[in-house]
Amino acid sequence: MTEKNRQPPGDLAIWIFICAELGVFAVFFAAYAFTRAQHVELFNRYQQTLNSNYALINTLALITSSYFVVRAVAAIRDDHQRSCARWLGAAIAMGGVFLVVKSMEYHHHFSAGVTLSTNTFYMFYLSLTFFHFMHVLMGMVILAAVALKARRGGYSASAYTGVETGASYWHMVDLVWIILFPLVYVMR
Amino acid sequence: MTTTRRNALVRPCTIIYLLLIGLTLLTWALGRFNDRIGLPVATLSMTVLGIALLKGQLIGDFFMGLRRVRGAWRWVVTLWLLLPASLIGYAFLSSY
Repeated sequence: MTEKNRQPPGDLAIWIFICAELGVFAVFFAAYAFTRAQHVELFNRYQQTLNSNYALINTLALITSSYFVVRAVAAIRDDHQRSCARWLGAAIAMGGVFLVVKSMEYHHHFSAGVTLSTNTFYMFYLSLTFFHFMHVLMGMVILAAVALKARRGGYSASAYTGVETGASYWHMVDLVWIILFPLVYVMR
Repeated sequence: MTTTRRNALVRPCTIIYLLLIGLTLLTWALGRFNDRIGLPVATLSMTVLGIALLKGQLIGDFFMGLRRVRGAWRWVVTLWLLLPASLIGYAFLSSY
């Protein structure tokens, strides 16, 4: 039986930050859902213009990156600094896949003349997904900093709070997308 | 944070990962092929929302490591999932 901790993994400050971020996204999601309830036909019509294949690839990329981060934490717990850095590098690469696919999606819409002011659906779609996009970017920077320190031997089996802190932030980014994907691309 | 077990043939976190992948494919397929499947839209929406809750809980418990935490922090992801999901569910159900 594993002993349970009072504190979540990583620095407690990141969890307060995570709670604040999750709160903002919760408000965003609720605003989307209640606005949609007032404009069901508009939202259903323009949701059809979104490419759910891109969204699928992006969901798979983020889940895979989260899995790689879990493996990175497992590696540092075993005192394998290089392996930890490699897993984090793989997670960052999957984050890169997400950004490239999302950029392709944006390019498609912008080429068709879509902007924030096109209609209410696109206003929510663009602002919500771009806000998340920026979080992915921020997460990649955090993971890169952690990977670099791990590669230089800055973490060990007895001191890896930094790895867990970065990992917790990255899982939060994944968690938000887990709701965003069905809400924006599938539910109608 | 992780669910590693040295003597296990497959790491528990790998099983969770594969489950998450499967649930993602199921969500996508339900949206993509519902014209052929023929689920009522309310059923489709509530099903994929339920799947998202399950996926979120798996990420919180196994990837974020909260199943090994006791006290208030243990439930932070669960509470977060339930809050927007209940609002989303209410808003969608009231729109049909």
